[in-house]
Amino acid sequence: MKDLRYLLAAALQGLVLVFGMSAGAHAADAGKDLVLRGDAVCTTCHTAEMTPHVLEIGKTTMGTTADPRTPSCISCHGESLKHRDGDGLPDRTFDKKSTTPIAVRNKACLTCHQGGERIHWTRSPHQENQVACTSCHSIHTQHDKVRDRKTQTEVCFTCHKTQRAEMRRASRHPIAEGKVVCSDCHNPHGTSGPNLLRRDNVNDTCYTCHMEKRGPFLHSHEPVQEDCTICHNPHGSSNPTLLKVRLPFLCQTCHEPNRHPGTMPDPTAINSGLSNFSTNKAVIMGRGCVQCHADVHGSNTPNNDAAAFRH
Amino acid sequence: MKASRKDPFILTAAAAALLLAFGPALAQDNSAAQLTKPQSSINVGVGYVSKDNQRFGQYNGLTDKGAYGIVDFSLNKRDDATGTWFRLMGRDLGYKDPELRLEQKRQGDWGYYIDYTRIPRYEPYTINTGLQGVGSTSQTVVPITPGAGTDYQLDTKRDRWTIGLEKAYRQWNVQVRYRNEEKDGSQQWSQGRFGFYPRFLAKPIDYTMQQVDVMGDYNTDRFQVRVGYYGSMFDNKNKLLTASPPNGTNYFGEMSLPPDNQSHQFYVSGGYNFTDTIRSDFKVSYGRATQNDSWAIAPPAGVTATSLDGRVDTTLVQAGVSGRATSKFTWRADLRYENRDDKTPQVVNASLESYQPRSIERTTGKVIGHYSLPNGFRLTGDITYDQKKREVPEATVVDFRETVNEATYRVELRRAVSQTVTGALSVAHSKRDGSEWLDNRLDDPTFNIIAPIYTADRDRNTVRLVVNWMPSDPLSVNFRADQSRDDYTGRNTETNGYDVGPREGKASNYSVDASYVFSESVTGTAWLSHGDTRMSEATCQERSATLPGNPGGTCQTGGTNYAWVGDVKNLADNFGLGLRAKATSRVDVGADVTYAKVRDEYGLSALDANTAAQLTSQGPLPDITTKVTTVRLYGKYALDRKSGVRVDWIYDQYQTDDWTWSRWIYSDGTTALQDPNQKVNYVGVSYYYKFQ
Repeated sequence: MKDLRYLLAAALQGLVLVFGMSAGAHAADAGKDLVLRGDAVCTTCHTAEMTPHVLEIGKTTMGTTADPRTPSCISCHGESLKHRDGDGLPDRTFDKKSTTPIAVRNKACLTCHQGGERIHWTRSPHQENQVACTSCHSIHTQHDKVRDRKTQTEVCFTCHKTQRAEMRRASRHPIAEGKVVCSDCHNPHGTSGPNLLRRDNVNDTCYTCHMEKRGPFLHSHEPVQEDCTICHNPHGSSNPTLLKVRLPFLCQTCHEPNRHPGTMPDPTAINSGLSNFSTNKAVIMGRGCVQCHADVHGSNTPNNDAAAFRH
Repeated sequence: MKASRKDPFILTAAAAALLLAFGPALAQDNSAAQLTKPQSSINVGVGYVSKDNQRFGQYNGLTDKGAYGIVDFSLNKRDDATGTWFRLMGRDLGYKDPELRLEQKRQGDWGYYIDYTRIPRYEPYTINTGLQGVGSTSQTVVPITPGAGTDYQLDTKRDRWTIGLEKAYRQWNVQVRYRNEEKDGSQQWSQGRFGFYPRFLAKPIDYTMQQVDVMGDYNTDRFQVRVGYYGSMFDNKNKLLTASPPNGTNYFGEMSLPPDNQSHQFYVSGGYNFTDTIRSDFKVSYGRATQNDSWAIAPPAGVTATSLDGRVDTTLVQAGVSGRATSKFTWRADLRYENRDDKTPQVVNASLESYQPRSIERTTGKVIGHYSLPNGFRLTGDITYDQKKREVPEATVVDFRETVNEATYRVELRRAVSQTVTGALSVAHSKRDGSEWLDNRLDDPTFNIIAPIYTADRDRNTVRLVVNWMPSDPLSVNFRADQSRDDYTGRNTETNGYDVGPREGKASNYSVDASYVFSESVTGTAWLSHGDTRMSEATCQERSATLPGNPGGTCQTGGTNYAWVGDVKNLADNFGLGLRAKATSRVDVGADVTYAKVRDEYGLSALDANTAAQLTSQGPLPDITTKVTTVRLYGKYALDRKSGVRVDWIYDQYQTDDWTWSRWIYSDGTTALQDPNQKVNYVGVSYYYKFQ
């Protein structure tokens, strides 16, 4: 293994030596733009040595100067005439301790980014709660954490602490692995639906991955058709399949007690054999009620027995 | 059922080949270029998992003891002359959840991408069963002595391909996205009915899910609009699971699997700036979902329909406007109407229960005002009104309400801009009620005592406090408290006077986060949170031999009739610590420790003496406590400015005393068990190389 690692290292180094291309960017002469159009007025002071992070905007889409839409420094920070004269901060700043009003900061972004995914920004709770674009996005870096599926939650959980705790529970979506991330279900920039959901309602959002639940089924379970979150907590749960409450307690919040839905759970272990079984044990063990009502999301079997979602 | 591991050495070689293909063109040794040109990287090595496990690898596939390849790369190149980006990203290529993405884009002109990802999911329990035919649509239940069967680690995997195209022209931008996802594998399942207790089955999964998004944007300074189509198609290759031996109608010979369905939606959304301070936004959409797959089994005699021919049309209209009335007062008003119109024909036949339509109209209105106060404070008040109107079905098994209304009033004081302290205090009250209750019509029509939790009258009070404190440059502290309480009002029709149904719910979460910059090269973070969620409900067990139930809405007593209260609690404590340090010019180290302890309590109490005696006899429901401890350490040693060696160590411990599985045996002898104390170590050593 060690040999392979060194072999690879040597091979990769060799590749660069052989194929390494000429340098791309040229060090700026005084008065010449370094990264963005018209940035010389800023980069005369904000040099690579003094404030390297400022220049790193060149690694981003903002630094793609061939695109005529990309901004200059003053597009976002303002003319900042006093700052240029060495007096105070730029007109608009975006750091954590900035005193620039949030709306002014965000307008700098929305001037260009008002359409598409951000059409409903004024409807977003993030806007209502005075969240700045730069609270989540890092502009001067190639790696904007919130746009990387592996690191996005680090940003979202800065505020959403309940969800941070819930995703560590036994039943969860693969959020930690970056396979399901906040922005798969939510558009933080605003939507026409509830809770910033990407689709128009809860169910349509869930169906993007769980289409088999859509039906409609001959025998349909009313809350299933209405809102998945009546029963499930998508952010994580102690209970199997992200259920809000363990069965049978969850089912009993709606169902009448006649027949057996009001069964009181009995924790006595089932040892073996049918003689040891009882409904009181079965409703709390394993998957609870849905061990018999196995098609609880709906059944398409043309049979009255299936009305109870048993097959 | 164990999947074979991919050979890490082959993947490592593959990664090197990728670099050979794309690496030329990339090396630059110019400080300005290093700062301004997109950077690429590759990371190759080997990781080792110390032990077979069920939780640590549940979603990344690191479930088996042994070696795995570490192969990650991110190639980013930009042609500055044309503004054309080329990106190639690969992640976790040596694991069972690889990701690959190829993207090329001329910024502001055209672009395309191809994306692949695999999402595995391993069931957290080892199934020991005699079931024959696992993975197929024909399964035979073979009873066994518990533990004497064959072990299965059931899993599913999703293979997801996405292709995207984009073209911009002046103010126009058109995007097309197509996704195809194949989901295969098996999931834990079962069948049974009252008195014929559950026997184990394995649900065979063979789904194809396709999605199409077409979006056209037109943007000007004043007006932005998006016109779009979204299609979603589900295809299930398995329609039916045949389970044998059947036992009349007790163990069904056929278990239906989800039918094919599809949905198509057209929409227009947009925004318009009337002035610099007044903006409106809207969305109008129309969608149709259909399901006309053939019946899973032959219908009863007399039913001529060959499928449900299900159809649900959904219309959405939303419009809002916001503005600034004075320099200190801003406002917004919003109205949203969504109509889910279930147009599925009713399959009416004497021998087959009719389809019950689920049409729902939802109307939501909200007005909100913000008033600026001195010292950066802002006062907010808002009112939200939400109404759901449901079509009344012919048959219901729960009590039903045609209309449910909820009004929410909220006041908030917020300070968002300050160099030392920001935060908010928000208080809200919601009141939910609705139209007259309609009794359930399918079971005993006189036994209607439960108000379902999602339609019951409810008073909800919530309080939220957020404080961000930045007392000095190196230290910042965040405190957040969320608290809510729900009080439910039942139907009050139980003749003993028992308050049955949902009674109350409480939820709170408190958290403190702190970060400290010890020096330019050392930073630390710490956080702590406590969550407490509770629900209380009451019901009664009616086991009358003669159906339907006991008339008159009375919880009976004596024998196996019990009237009882369930108090369910979920108590969670979490903490995390993080440290990042640049120990020397060549050495970076980092550490993260997270710990979660969740305790679920299931309190039972009696409403009568007979129930109290039974509770004494059977004993309490034990708590379930689950603890997850994860330690992640890494160290990076730079061989030079571009390359280095990275070492990762992860320790993961999952502990649980979940008795609901350890005490459970399916009626055919199948067990589903997990190791109650799973400790896994993972060590990874890799070589990284960065270039431009």
